[in-house]
Amino acid sequence: MERRVVITACSAISPIGHSKREIVESLCKGISGVKTLPEDELIGRFIHSRVYGTVNYPIAYDFKRQHRKTMGPVAYYACQVAKEVLQQAQLPESFVTGGRLGIAFGSIHGSPTVQRDIYKIIFGAKDKAAYQNIGAVDYLKSMVHTTAVNISKMFGITGRIISSGTACTTASQSIGYGYEAVKYGLQDAMLCGGADEYDTITVAVFDNLLACSTSFNDRPDQTPRPFDQARDGLVVAEGAGAVLLEDYESARKRGAPILAEVIGFACNSNGGDLILPNLEGITKTLQLGLENAKLNASDVDLISAHATATKMGDIIEAQATGSVFGLHPQVVALKSYMGHTMAACGGIETVLCLYMMQEGFIAPTLHLENVDERCSMIRHVQNLLEQKFTTVAIQNFAFGGVNTSLLIRKLT
Amino acid sequence: MTRQDIEKEVRRIFLVEFEVENPEMDVNLREAYGFDSIDAIELLLEIEKFLNSELTQSEKKKAMDIRTMRQIIDYIEMLAEKRKALPEKE
Repeated sequence: MERRVVITACSAISPIGHSKREIVESLCKGISGVKTLPEDELIGRFIHSRVYGTVNYPIAYDFKRQHRKTMGPVAYYACQVAKEVLQQAQLPESFVTGGRLGIAFGSIHGSPTVQRDIYKIIFGAKDKAAYQNIGAVDYLKSMVHTTAVNISKMFGITGRIISSGTACTTASQSIGYGYEAVKYGLQDAMLCGGADEYDTITVAVFDNLLACSTSFNDRPDQTPRPFDQARDGLVVAEGAGAVLLEDYESARKRGAPILAEVIGFACNSNGGDLILPNLEGITKTLQLGLENAKLNASDVDLISAHATATKMGDIIEAQATGSVFGLHPQVVALKSYMGHTMAACGGIETVLCLYMMQEGFIAPTLHLENVDERCSMIRHVQNLLEQKFTTVAIQNFAFGGVNTSLLIRKLT
Repeated sequence: MTRQDIEKEVRRIFLVEFEVENPEMDVNLREAYGFDSIDAIELLLEIEKFLNSELTQSEKKKAMDIRTMRQIIDYIEMLAEKRKALPEKE
């Protein structure tokens, strides 16, 4: 059995806003969400990169204590976007709890805030009594599947749990595997996405690999600069993105608003180096995505590039994208607005594509002033385009050599 | 340590840790306030801090049947008396 799968709700918490209105405004006006790296009182002061895609606005959480007690900051983000998605979707309570709705949601490593607190206790321990300060719920707050299970607890969702933790492909894998779960009838709906919270461990890792942006520490809103000659690395960020996927026939029968159809997904691994981008692996993913969606390259209107603004990553992605799609589709690098939200990026980028699809515009890649000639084989968007479009390919590539391509199409 | 001291501390723990104000003495805590297994483990840690004494595994297992405020206070009173009788063991 193969069923059509549609997106019936979406939500994002991002460095450029929370509501659709704020996010669309930032995209249209070229407003960056990158700020100065917040201090963590541990390693933050040693990091060369002083920039961070920050969610620095208040969010009106109203979670009950029973739910709050097992949630670190990452689960707050995840549960908030999940709540908004479920509110939008208006699914009957009996369906939400009935076992045919599942969850595919992850983060790159649970809650680093809670982990930092545990480390402080461990390394500050002077006697046996100190261990008592590691609370019973610390594991539940910090474990890698904390987002998915806190969502399941809060809303009483009893279907499948998939909790991908594949770094930058976490959310795109979640949406892709959620799509397959509905497509093949394993579930009737899947709540999918990813989230990550403020975390200097990730910044330090990329900083030590010389992959972080450092030249714009005094001008945070001028970086990252995907595909630009002056790009100097990625900017780590925080946030969350979620979508609700449903079987098309069920969604249609209940009169749900259909935002788009998921028409294809591909995921592969490079089978080799865990850090360096791999032209062959990425090219293959993009080809597999098209095959899975039964599309020709010319059917794709827009590509949401992974484009983190690292020196090599952008070149390899441009080459792979150019070889598979040529110069036809427009290409936007949405990380230019907010940095790299890690596990959340595939989810947030999907939500942003849905917003642009609904509103009939394509945002330009921010700060793309002088295209690096080694990235020039694709059709970059450098000015805001008021343009309706139908089909989008969302590309994400992760540390560990994992690649994904997700294809969505406006229902016509 | 009087029974009143214990009740006062348990009420403080419930307010601060579990956001339950003035729990009733004989109601089922799970049914009335959503007090669950995670809360029970947190409560045992708080009791250890209050008594300034680690609970043994068998003492902790005895807490598994507790359902009400009154039973919590009885339990702590029992632990406190035991420690008064055998302070060197703890």
